[in-house]
Amino acid sequence: MTTSDVRSALLAADPRLSKFSPLPRILAFDEFDSGTHGWCELLGNYNGRGDLSTVDDHMRDFRPPQLSACNFFDIGTHGALSGTYALKLATRPHKGHTAVAIRRLTMSGRGLVQLETYFAFKSEATLGGGSELDTFGDVQWDGNTHPSEAQFGAFTVATDLCGDGGLRYHTVARYQNTDMDNHFTRRWMAPTVPEPTPREHFEGKVKLEYAADFTAPNPEDWQQFGEPQELCYNEVPTKVNWHYLRWVVDTEKRRNVELQVNDRVMDMSDVPVPPYEERYETLENLLNFYFSVRTHSNVRNFLFLDSVLISVDW
Amino acid sequence: MTAVLERDTTFDTRFATEPYEVAWAGEARWFVHHVGGDGTATYLTQVSPDGITWCDLDATEHRVGPGQLISWPVSGFGHWLRLRAKVDGSVQVRIHLAVKA
Repeated sequence: MTTSDVRSALLAADPRLSKFSPLPRILAFDEFDSGTHGWCELLGNYNGRGDLSTVDDHMRDFRPPQLSACNFFDIGTHGALSGTYALKLATRPHKGHTAVAIRRLTMSGRGLVQLETYFAFKSEATLGGGSELDTFGDVQWDGNTHPSEAQFGAFTVATDLCGDGGLRYHTVARYQNTDMDNHFTRRWMAPTVPEPTPREHFEGKVKLEYAADFTAPNPEDWQQFGEPQELCYNEVPTKVNWHYLRWVVDTEKRRNVELQVNDRVMDMSDVPVPPYEERYETLENLLNFYFSVRTHSNVRNFLFLDSVLISVDW
Repeated sequence: MTAVLERDTTFDTRFATEPYEVAWAGEARWFVHHVGGDGTATYLTQVSPDGITWCDLDATEHRVGPGQLISWPVSGFGHWLRLRAKVDGSVQVRIHLAVKA
């Protein structure tokens, strides 16, 4: 029996880990039933006096992640996959608003980095109103399909990486459920440009408004990859079905590798990873991950994470 | 855990904070800081069965004036907390919610 066999047997025998497929070294195993595990609100940068009015408008309100028992008006506590609590990202009920949770590490090597998670996405339930609320976007309530599904915009998993003399870049995978007009698109996307940074605003190059898409504000700077994919929203806003996501990037080659979501594996090797032109200081070996959720309606959107496992081959 | 529910936001009319889930917590404390503006505001703690429908937890109003930081504990809450506020003038508000198991 080899070391690899023993490791495989140990992973398979552990009900907490056997639902994952980690690379050889596990950097983080975050079961949110026991806390937030370092996933915190992202906030833009501010001046040397702590003056928060100097934070960029589009990066000042990404909302604190919550430990959620997935409580709903109709059934009470739904609970998570691995216990009672999940990490919840919640937008404001404001079209375009984004909630972001970030986890900050650094790299002690280069090579493959894999993030796995079990997630679910929902819109907030609407209570009351008239029969006009039975229709939204492409959906007319028919006993099964529910307008809530069309009220969900997009969720994103991404990195912020820097090294090798200040070369900074992001890898990004976004599931766009609807476009900004609330029509279903149900596709995976990635930006072709790097994310705007506070320095560009400071230097007078970019000034984005509140609720702009901070990852890449111009819709034309996004391109689809893979084929459209229908996920399991499950009709009403209060049924939580957990999806598996596994995403691999290569920090040696500074490339995407692949994205698996449930039974679909998408080759991402041709998905661009645009670097910043200028070099960055104080970010050497930066290894950040973030999840975000963006509403395309005036309804709160939620991204629930049961657990996250980050592993590497170095 | 500490959540910053409003971060130097300016209000000149009544408002409520975003819903925050506290099902896991046994203790909570609000910190409301008026970091700017010359107005005053009064705050009431609200609870909810579902994060959508809200009622006051008690009848205690907490008045915060210019530059003041006011704090009060909360007990006997359910799975959600928020504040509702009545504003007189203009206030710039920083609101922390500290929660413990």
